[in-house]
Formats: sequence, C-alpha cells, structure tokens
Amino acid sequence: MRLHKKGLSTLTKLVREEPALWMGHPLKRKEDRRLLTGLGKFVDDIKLPGMAYAAILRSPYAHARILGIDVSKAERLEGVVCTLVGEEVAKLTDPFLQISSPPANKLKDYCLAVGKVHFAGEPVAAVVAETRSTAEDALELIDAEYEAVDHVLDAKEALKPGAPVIHEEVGSNVVFRGKWDYGDINAAMKQADKVVKKTLHFHRFSSTPIENNAVLAQYDKATGFLNVYSNNQMPMFCIPWVSFALKFPSNRIRMVTGDVGGGFGTKIISYPYIVLISLLAMRSGRPVKWIETRTEHLSAANHGNERMFEVEIPVKNDGTILGLKVKAWDDCGAYTRYEPAGATIWAQVTPGCYRFKNFQMEFLQVMTSKCPVGPNRGYSRMQHLWMIERSVDIVARELGLDPTEVRLKNFIRPEEMPYVTPSGGVYDGGNYPESLSRVLKLIDYWRWRKEQVEERKKGRLIGIGISTILDSGTNNFGQVKITNPENPFSGNSEGARISIDGLGGIQVALGTSPQGQGHETFASQVVADEFGVSPDQVTVLMGFDSAVNPYSHQSGAYASRCAVMGTGALLGAAKKVKEKAAKIAAHVLKADPESIEFKEGHAVDRDSGRKIPLWQIGNIAWVNNVLLPEGMEPGLVAIHFWRPDFGLPDEKWRLNQTLTYSYQSHAAVIEMDPETGKFKILKYAIVDDCGKQINPMIVEGQVHGAAAHGIGAAMYENFEYDEDGQLKSSTLVDYLVPTALEVPDLVTESMETPSLFAPKGIKGVGEGGGTPISAIANAVEDALTPYGVEISDSHQNPQRIYELIVKKRKKM
Amino acid sequence: MTPKKFAYFAPASLKEAIQLLRVNEDAKVLAGGQSLIALMKLRLAAPAALVDITKTGDLLSYIREGKGHLEVGALTTHDTLERSKIINKKFPILSDAASKIGDQQIRNRGTIGGSCCHADPAADLPTALTALESEFVVRGVKGKRVIPQSKFFVDTFTTSIAKDEILTEIQIPHTPPKSGSAYIKHSRREGDFAIVGVGAVVTVGPKKVCRDVRVSLGAVASTPIRAKSAERHLKGKTLDEGNIAEAAERANEEADPPSDMHGSRQYRLDMIKVFARRALNLALSRAR
Ligand SMILES: Cc1cc2nc3c(=O)[nH]c(=O)nc-3n(C[C@H](O)[C@H](O)[C@H](O)COP(=O)(O)OP(=O)(O)OC[C@H]3O[C@@H](n4cnc5c(N)ncnc54)[C@H](O)[C@@H]3O)c2cc1C
Repeated sequence: MRLHKKGLSTLTKLVREEPALWMGHPLKRKEDRRLLTGLGKFVDDIKLPGMAYAAILRSPYAHARILGIDVSKAERLEGVVCTLVGEEVAKLTDPFLQISSPPANKLKDYCLAVGKVHFAGEPVAAVVAETRSTAEDALELIDAEYEAVDHVLDAKEALKPGAPVIHEEVGSNVVFRGKWDYGDINAAMKQADKVVKKTLHFHRFSSTPIENNAVLAQYDKATGFLNVYSNNQMPMFCIPWVSFALKFPSNRIRMVTGDVGGGFGTKIISYPYIVLISLLAMRSGRPVKWIETRTEHLSAANHGNERMFEVEIPVKNDGTILGLKVKAWDDCGAYTRYEPAGATIWAQVTPGCYRFKNFQMEFLQVMTSKCPVGPNRGYSRMQHLWMIERSVDIVARELGLDPTEVRLKNFIRPEEMPYVTPSGGVYDGGNYPESLSRVLKLIDYWRWRKEQVEERKKGRLIGIGISTILDSGTNNFGQVKITNPENPFSGNSEGARISIDGLGGIQVALGTSPQGQGHETFASQVVADEFGVSPDQVTVLMGFDSAVNPYSHQSGAYASRCAVMGTGALLGAAKKVKEKAAKIAAHVLKADPESIEFKEGHAVDRDSGRKIPLWQIGNIAWVNNVLLPEGMEPGLVAIHFWRPDFGLPDEKWRLNQTLTYSYQSHAAVIEMDPETGKFKILKYAIVDDCGKQINPMIVEGQVHGAAAHGIGAAMYENFEYDEDGQLKSSTLVDYLVPTALEVPDLVTESMETPSLFAPKGIKGVGEGGGTPISAIANAVEDALTPYGVEISDSHQNPQRIYELIVKKRKKM
Repeated sequence: MTPKKFAYFAPASLKEAIQLLRVNEDAKVLAGGQSLIALMKLRLAAPAALVDITKTGDLLSYIREGKGHLEVGALTTHDTLERSKIINKKFPILSDAASKIGDQQIRNRGTIGGSCCHADPAADLPTALTALESEFVVRGVKGKRVIPQSKFFVDTFTTSIAKDEILTEIQIPHTPPKSGSAYIKHSRREGDFAIVGVGAVVTVGPKKVCRDVRVSLGAVASTPIRAKSAERHLKGKTLDEGNIAEAAERANEEADPPSDMHGSRQYRLDMIKVFARRALNLALSRAR
C-alpha cells in the first residue's frame, strides 16, 4: 500500500520531467484547454443546415386524463414547422422496452403522454419551429384539456387498497417485491443483547449537471440514416429502446456525443427525448434540435430514488452487530425507465463495510405521481449505505459507545480480503480500519471530542460525524436478472481501438462516451506507457460516434466503470498492436519478436540494442507494405473488447454485482445554531482508496466533486412536492445546489490498495457513495446530543432540525 | 426558455425614456435586468417593450451628500453599495444588505432602484431602506416627486410608481450621532433570498438609553414592514441584553409571513425574534 498526501501542493508542483511511468502521474487533463477556453463541442454548438427547434408542452397536473389536445392554433403560427401529440406517438411508435417482470412490464411508456399524464412535467405535445422562441410561443397556443384524477405522492400510500393506480395496465403501483435472506436473522435476534429499531427516510434529489439534456436528430433521406447528436451517457446501451420504439433498424442509427457537461447518471434515461426528437425530425424533414431548460431538467428529467426503511439491528452490548433486518419502500416515481434495476443495485454493497452475516431485506419498489427516477451518482447504493451508516451511529448512541469504536469492531478485516458478502459480492481488497484511523487523524477526532465537551459548557454545539462507505464500480448487468430472469443482459464489456498510422501517429478510440471525467487523459496515460511514448503523442478521439468508435452495447459512462473497463480494452488492443509491430520490427531488425520492446517512440531489440522508430513500422504496415513479413496482413490497428469475469445470480440471488469496491472514510465537524437549526461545516476530511490511481489529480477532482454533491444532498438539495403534486423546487432558486461558498475546504488523503481483480489494480472512483449524507446526518445528531434529538432523514433542513429541537425543549 | 418577443429601446435621455414609457403600451424599465430578464425568460413577465435606462446621458449611479440626507442614484449597483466607504461608514445596514444579495455577477449588474421597483418582499435592500425611512425620488412627464418610504411599497411586486415614471434617486436621512445600523438575513445558502431579513437602526442616548430605534422585516409580509411593537418596547429603555431580547420577542407581532419550502409561517415567526435580537445587538455594537 502506498500513501501519498495530496492537496494543492502536488497540484502546483507538477513534475516537469517525464516520469518513468505515466500511470500514477497527475497529468493535467487534456480536455481542459478546450473546455476552459470555450472551445468545447456540446450539442448546442452544432448547427446543421436547415435546422429547426423543438419545444415541449408539459403536464400541469400530477395525474389527469387527457381529454383533448388542439394544436390547430399553434400550427397556424408563423414559423411553426410541425407539431406532435401523444395520440400520434402511440400510432407511430411502440411503447418503450420494460425490464420489470410481469405485471409491471405491461406499463406503457411513450415519449409523449398517451391518454393520461402521470406526473407534473410529463411531456404531452411538441412543436417544431424556425426558432426556439417561436416554438415556445406556439406552446402557449396549444389547447390541452385535462380531467384531473387522484394522485399519490407517497410510496406507502400508493400501496393501500383504493389508492390511485398510476398505470392501470399494471393493475397496481408495485414494480417489484423481493426478499433477500441470508444467514439466520431470527437466530441473531435471539442472540442479541438488544435489538435497535428505527424508521428512516432517504430524500429525493438529483445531480444537476451543468449541461441539461440535449438532442439534435437528423433523418437523412438519402442514406436512410438517423443521426442522433445527444449527450446521453449510454448511447449504445439505449439503442434497443430507440430502435424498438421507432421501429427503425439499429444498423442505420448513428449515435454521436461530444463534450458533455456532466451526467452523473441523469442522462442515462434520456431515450424518450431521443425518440421524440427523432420523430419530429422525420416528420418535419429537418434536423431538429432540443435543448432542455433547467426547469424541465429539474422537474422531469430524472430524480434519485426516494426510500423509506424500517430497520432492526440485533447487537451485543460490546457493539458487535449481529445482523440487519430491513424493510425498504423505494419510490421510483411515475415510470420505470431504468427501474427496477435500482431495486437490486443496492445489493452490490449488502453489508456495507461490515462483517455481519445475518441479513434480511424485504424490498418493495412502488410508483407514485412524481418525476421518474433514474440512475444518479451513487445510484441505489447510497440510500442503502446511508441507512447502514446511520444505523451504526444509532447503535453506538443506544449502547453508549463511540461510533468509531462500533465501526472498528464490525469492519471486515484486511486479512479477510477478498471478502465474500452474504449476497455474493466479492470485495476486491481494502483496509477499512486503516482508512477510518487515517481520517480520524486527519480531522483530529479526539481533540474535537474533548473540545466538544468544553464548548457545550459555553453553549456551543459541535457535532462530529463519521462515515465509511463502499463505492462499488463496474456493474455486472447479471443483477437485473434478479428482478426479471428473462432480461437479456449480463456481465459488462467495453471496446477500444488503437492504431498507429503510416506516419507513426498513435490514435485511440474508446466506447466510453465521456461526460467530463477525463477519458482522453487517462487513456493517453495508459497507452503512452504501453508504447513508451509521452501522452502528448497519443491522440484520443473526443466524444463518441457509433460510426467511428468501437463500442459494445454496454459502452458508456456509468457505474464508475470507465477507467477499469477502458483500461481493460486499451491493454487488450495495445497488446495486439504491439505484437504485430514487434513482428514487423523484428523482421526489419532481423531479431526475435520476443525481444522487441517499445521505448521512447522506438521498437528496440533488447539483445542487440538496435532500434527502429514507430513511424517506420507504421510506414511499412500501411504504405511500404512490400517490406512486410511474408503473408502478413497490412495495417497496424486493433480493436479489443474486454469483459470482466462475472457470473449470474444463484437461487438465493447471490452474485458478484460489481468488479471493484473502492471505499472512502469521511469525517465532518459541524457547529449547530440551535436557535435556527442551521449549521455550518467547520472541518471536513476524506480518505479515499480507489486502488492504483491512473491520474491522482483526476481522482482528487472526483473525490471533491462527489463530496460537494453529497454535501449538497445532505444540506441543500431536495425535491419536495406540494399536496397537488407540483414540484416546489423546480428552479435553481429553490433547488439549492451548493456553491464554492457552501463547500468547505476538503482535507483529503489517499490510500492505494490495488484491486485484486481489475486491470493494473485500479478501481472505479467518482460516485463516492453519498458519504457526506451519512457523515453529516451523524454529525447533526451528535451536535444535538444535549437535546437528545434523533435524525431519521437524509436531508438536514434547518426548519426541520429547529422543530425537532423545539419539541425536545418543550419536554425538557 | 426564451422571452416572448419584445421591443428594445435605449433612449439617450431620461426625458426620452419617460416618453417611451408613456407611448408604448406595456413597456417596462430595464435597469440591471437581474429580476426582469429572469422573469421574462420564465415567461412570468412578457412586456411588449423594454426601455433601457442604463444608456441615457443622465448619470444615475452615484452616492453623494444631500441636504440632511445621503443621495443614492437609482442605477447604483449592489456591488458599488457594498464597497462604498461612505455607505460602510454611515449606513452599514445597506452594505450588509447589498453584500448578501445573490452572487457577485448579480451584484455587479443589479441596482438599488431595480431592487426597490421590483418590490419583492424578500429582497434585502428594500427592507434595509425601510429601517432607514428613506424617500424615493421619481420623475415623470410632470416632473419630479418624492415618495416617502411608507407610501412606496404597496404590495408584493407593486410600488406606487406610475407606469411612465422612473425612480431616479433614493434619499437616506442621516441618523443622529451615536447611531448604529445592521441588516442580517436568514437564508439557506449565502446569497439566497431571505427566509427572514431584519434591519435595525438604533440611536443611543445618555446612559445607554434607547433614544430611537427602528426595526424592519423582510419576507414576512406583502411588503417590507416595521416591527413597531418591538420598537415601542425598546424606546426609552436601557439598551441592554435583557431589554433587547424582550423587544425582539415582540418583533413578530406585525408580521404575516407566507410558507414555502424553506420556511413555514411558524418558522418565520420564530426566526423573526432570533434575527431581530441579533440585528439589534449588531446595530448597537456599531453605535458610535
Ligand atoms: C439568482 C438571483 C438571486 C438573487 N438574490 C437576491 C437576494 O438574495 N436578495 C435580493 O434582494 N435580491 C436578489 N436578487 C434580485 C436582485 O437584487 C435584482 O438585481 C434586483 O431585484 C433588480 O435590480 P435590477 O437593476 O437588476 O432591475 P431589473 O431587473 O432591470 O428591473 C426590476 C424591475 O424594476 C423595474 N425598474 C428597474 N429600475 C427602475 C427604475 N429606476 N424606475 C422604475 N422602474 C424600474 C423594472 O421595470 C422591473 O420591473 C436575485 C436575483 C437573482 C437572479
């Protein structure tokens, strides 16, 4: 294990001379020059000849029957090209593919509401016009008539007999009901000195990428191609959704992405918009662009899963946790666009970082009249991990132990690695006790504990919160067979292509469709080391183009998978290219191909020391090919597809659901103002371990970003609906994203425990598991110890905290 | 979203601007645009014409001494107020308020006149100006008139300025020696609109007796209001912690706050007391 202190000092002291290996070097991101100078290429930067603009009319109701939509006035407006309504969509397209098992898969989802609207903000009609504002003007001329029907906003309410049924064709609001049962939870309850019981709620929020969804579609009549420029995060994964809905052949759909202003999962389920804009392009015969507004994004793109838990934790008086018995109600909103994947994805990290073997989960996923959920940084695991980390603190409080003591007592030990979890997850190495001790040292935990006591005497409320979580990455799609064994997905795969052209230029193309994570940089570093060149000499194609980049239908930027999967594919492609280049070099140098090495832009014969430059090998491979060894195919290019070794769920739903399990320990010190319920973060420390790091600067950026996001969720970001089912936080005035002023200085440190399974020992990083959400909840409860206030919600709204204090004060 | 179609005028003089406002149906003044353009982009406002007053030859950005009052031009930006030495010295309540508005970009463009004319009850400067009993100079076809603070703010997003009038100046009466002022707000993030905003001005008499006090509240009624009951309680009493706390307990008597996701009615009523006490203490600490 290697430890290196990071922070600004290393960022400013970037090493100038070339390192022996580019892997592990904090290389400045290749992408940043264009992004920082305004030269990024986003969807809205593309202008095609004859392009027109779309705008979308949305439902003002949470649940209503559509009585009629009259677009005649809108169509008469000058500058309007065409319109589209749900009834037409129902004729033109098939409903989107569903991955639930029956009856939930009967759900009919179209790109515009058909017959009924199911949440406020659902698209009901669309207009194409010569300009964006004309399209918006036209929306105001559409007469849409609705008959409101009862809606339901709470998952438990939605289960009651007589509750409004959101999709009649499903018959109820239940998407999935499942029971995970490992070890013997009842025996654990009997053995326990105490059973701690709690009800917890994880709130709704999302990721707020700086760029909203965007689609530009063009139907090329000449070639019969549908060209889609979008910022979807899994452009090739969503091909079945697009192709089946449009009844359009997949081999004539070209998906292109460029620079993307962040995704964080929210752009995975943008396929309804891809289909809608494609339909409009076909109908109008024009390229059609649609750029989502912030309000559209907040109210209708994709929220994170809201979840309620009833938890029972059998414990020993010494703090040993014997097991966990949980009932969870997951509110997935009005449609299942990636669900019920979230109903199983939490089980990637079933026991968190802990050793208990007895586990039972009854999981219910339920639809409500709210914005559909979709993947969102820390998808489904952060809810589960928050529940566990909150529970551990509650256990500590109820037993009168320090929360760090309970963690240390129950952590999986480093010598138990690779550790097999009750649900079959295989943790690929790590040292959780070490991570916790380091973060305690970084934050100066025991000094704060003393200070806390002193300050309390003076009336100051200091709170300290700790959390250690797993940040699983590179998913095994086999896990969706838990909710529906018929689902035709399993494993994971990624493609890469490396070519050395006739002038020796190295070009790399990946299937990973980056969203700002720095794939061009990390890929350059990995490939540079393979060929003994500098990353400047490796060009990585920006963005993704299905007509250019290699891809698998599991390609994409999701599940913290790109560094691991991309590296796997790159190493495979590099090996193929190098083998061929070595043969050519050996042929020229009259050497043994086995003794050829690639160093400083040359192929070198280890035995004789003789060498030839890469450009000469490229030259021979492509244009001077008479010099090739006899029988050798010309060209110097290889595509490689890489897949990790994954399995399928067994009869108890056990399987390794991801390849890598990074982990982080967070520590927060807060000061609470009991008069207002508002608090501020005094100090924040993080220790992360994502295995071997390709680029520590990018890793640190990811750690910071995930922490800021988690702090936002814990303190500011909340999707709240009013009784009518209207989203209250539909603009950035109410949906409060933390700014530089809200994010405290983060003190960070890294550990590097190599993954036991992933290429080069790297592990995925970036999602962060929502760690601050539990660290802060724990800190808030800790600060309020004098009042005995319990925190059962993941969102720390000052008013709610204040009310909890007032309630306790009254009793005091 | 994009605004609805509108005409844009950039008149060269205030006189011309007033004419344009008069002849154009549904025309609106454009100052810093930090409220108006946002509303237009959400299509919550759709004026047929904008009359940009930032390009007239009549300079409306200034802070200068007048007779018994300080004169602040309507186009003075929040940032200028925040950084002005004279404001910081004489009316820290205004620099407090200006410094907490939105973010730096908004403070660079947003103006004191725009903030007052927009008349959002949660806005910071109107609340601060209410504690200062400021007066508002407006110009129209018939010339100039001065509106006292108590008549200026009429309702949420409504002032007593006529459609073809322009606010040109705000006059802030000087406070007697040994006065102090402060504005603090309770908000979720730095720079968010107030859940509760409180302005306080105190004048200390001999033996630390409260000679005069004014407490104003924002975000708790349809306009900024004065907490008269609290003022009455404190006036003539010794300015000590106990009396201030007692007065603050009465600060919510005139309030009629709304509820939203950042603060319920009851929460705001409770927070008024907390922030009135803090604002009064801060104002007192500044009384010299
Ligand atoms: C994200 C964001 C956050 C904000 N946060 C805060 C905050 O925390 N606190 C706060 O107080 N404010 C806040 N604001 C509002 C900000 O203070 C605005 O600058 C101010 O309300 C308007 O000033 P303006 O010069 O930009 O006016 P404009 O937007 O140009 O005009 C506003 C209104 O006043 C009228 N008007 C403007 N000037 C005159 C004049 N001289 N005579 C007659 N009519 C006139 C216009 O016709 C319009 O109706 C925020 C704004 C944004 C966008």
